[in-house]
Amino acid sequence: MKKIKIKGKKIRVYLVSISLVLMVTVFGEFVKRDLEPANIVMFYLLVIVISAVRWGKGPALTTSILGVLCFDFFLVPPFLTLSIASIHYIFTFFVFLVVGLIVSTLASRMREQTIQARKQEARASALYHLSDDLAGSNTFEEALEIIQRNVGRIFQCTVAIYLPVGETLELNNRDPGFPLGEYEKETAVWVFHHARSSRGRTDSTRPGKMYFVPFKTPQEVIGVMGMSFPDERDAISSDEEDLLNALVNQAAIAIQRAKLAEETRHIEVMRQTEKLQAALLNSISHDLRTPMVSITGTLTTLLDNSTALDHATQKELLQTANEDADRLNRIVGNLLDMTKMETGVLRINKQPCELRDLIGASLEQLKDRTGNRIIRIDIPKDLPEISVDFSFMMKAFFNIIDNAVKYSPADTPIHIKAAAGRNKIDIEVKDQGFGIAPNDLKRIFDKFYRAEKPQNISGTGLGLSICKGIVEAHNGRITVRNNPDKGVTFMITLPLDDKRD
Amino acid sequence: MPKSQNIRILIADDERSIRQFLKISLSSSGYDIFEAATGKEVLEGSVSFHPDVIILDLGLPDMDGLDVIRDIRIRAKTPIIILSVREEVPDKVAALDAGADDYLTKPFSITELLARLKAVMRRLLPADQKEVYQVDKLAIDITKRQVLVNGNPVNLTPTEYDVLKLLILHAGRVLTHKQILQEVWNKDEALEGVFHLLRVTISNLRSKIEPDPDRPVCILTEPGIGYRLRSDK
Repeated sequence: MKKIKIKGKKIRVYLVSISLVLMVTVFGEFVKRDLEPANIVMFYLLVIVISAVRWGKGPALTTSILGVLCFDFFLVPPFLTLSIASIHYIFTFFVFLVVGLIVSTLASRMREQTIQARKQEARASALYHLSDDLAGSNTFEEALEIIQRNVGRIFQCTVAIYLPVGETLELNNRDPGFPLGEYEKETAVWVFHHARSSRGRTDSTRPGKMYFVPFKTPQEVIGVMGMSFPDERDAISSDEEDLLNALVNQAAIAIQRAKLAEETRHIEVMRQTEKLQAALLNSISHDLRTPMVSITGTLTTLLDNSTALDHATQKELLQTANEDADRLNRIVGNLLDMTKMETGVLRINKQPCELRDLIGASLEQLKDRTGNRIIRIDIPKDLPEISVDFSFMMKAFFNIIDNAVKYSPADTPIHIKAAAGRNKIDIEVKDQGFGIAPNDLKRIFDKFYRAEKPQNISGTGLGLSICKGIVEAHNGRITVRNNPDKGVTFMITLPLDDKRD
Repeated sequence: MPKSQNIRILIADDERSIRQFLKISLSSSGYDIFEAATGKEVLEGSVSFHPDVIILDLGLPDMDGLDVIRDIRIRAKTPIIILSVREEVPDKVAALDAGADDYLTKPFSITELLARLKAVMRRLLPADQKEVYQVDKLAIDITKRQVLVNGNPVNLTPTEYDVLKLLILHAGRVLTHKQILQEVWNKDEALEGVFHLLRVTISNLRSKIEPDPDRPVCILTEPGIGYRLRSDK
């Protein structure tokens, strides 16, 4: 179909050129009595130039020769014969023909150059689009898909991608219509191993042409792209190979980059998981075992008949074991909460309550640990109620206040205050303790992270990250800063419900 | 007191070690013990053993704890103390609503358990027509409708008085929001307005009777469940 269309177009171009010559001839018939024949030649030259510029060399040559013949036959006396009356017409004919030929050659070359420039422009834009698309691809698969789609579009062909799988090269993806024969596979393997493109061979079973290019990075060949042109005419020309090479080079780099990015991501996930597991194991082995040591020790001491302990000593031992059992219970609770948060099964059941009640209940639960600590509480009586999950939020305050108790000397006070803002409540828990090193400030809410400095204080590094989880589950925010003098202040912001009475 | 007069406790838990520890501790405190490891055994024991109190683990292997409570409640008013692991606030509320009297979160100390037992068993004693009840520093004179803190009379609004009276009569026991709202306001807790009234009343009561209202030691909040008047001092 296409071929016929192109042929038809060419024939029409010749017909138009011929009719232009005939029109000039008819015009010449009318004016030949008033105009010198040499002037009429100018009109013929005009037609030649038009043909050359619009339609190329062939029509221009046809116009030149036909023009000379018509000029001689119709416009130079004696009329209606090819013979001529005056010798000077020989020069006219000769110059006419030479000028015609030169003009048609020059004009058609100019036309070729224009076409070439347009083609280059199209390539540049195709390249630009591809590099744009490739820059946006994040995964290996995406990069491959973009290449396959664009190459198919730019070159009007079907595309197949071959990638190495272990020792062999396998077809990764192909457009419908790309031939699946042994021959294509062999050629792809050859291209892969030699790192050179190949045009393959054309025979009766493959009417179109093939082209195979390796995806080459500076280090290695990472795959092969096969192209199949259903129409031989569309097959890649030698200057198009440059464009293709540029495309494929870019593609190879993009594929390599996507591959590396994926590997890096994978490694990073692995690294994080390993680090976390190591931290978890470390935490479990240390923090879970330490209280167990004291509990087991106490129990075995009391079981062993050979140790004679007075009642007071026994009681002291048992009290320590009991405290450690509490600690163990808290650690298990924290690990459970953490797991719940991470697996997303933490269910927040919000109910309105008074912050004063929340803080009071937290302190009641903490009373064995706070001892005689001075805890100042400044909560305005008219503070609006907040809507929270009471028991989870209590746990958050338990952890923060416990943290303040642990990381500040026993004779320093802890100050808890709250204030209402616009649609929010700000709560501060301030201690006068050791403070937090600037390096630690950023990571203090991270899981299993514990400040480096006071090493003699026990903890799992889970408490604060659980606080953060709980506060954030309530759409709140928790931050920490060092006080200008000493100690730290934890700040919790909780949103207020819109409906307030 | 003859042995047959001892208070009888049914212990239901599927963990043998927990039953054993409870049996030894409670026997030494003078209680008679019956052990059950399944819901079926609890239901059988609750009939054959005639327990005065049932200590029930909510997570028995064969039956849903709530069904066990409901089943017992059809036939008897035996006080039930639930044992459950922490963080199961909705489960605890459901169990209390189903008719359980109180709960304990595992792990618990025997001191806590004994205090809970005493509190729930007060219900078993014949209703004496006492006029004055005393809980630590708090005293309430029912006939005079008067509350004394450390012997000093305190001015309470009628609602505050009703709530405090309810707490004192159930000293040591948990009272759910629902129970208080029904007893005092005769309203369902689903009405947020009433629930808010309860919180305000508790807050005001604390201001009047607590040594430090910011850190209450008398009227304790049971997170997500209700309130409890401390009576173990």
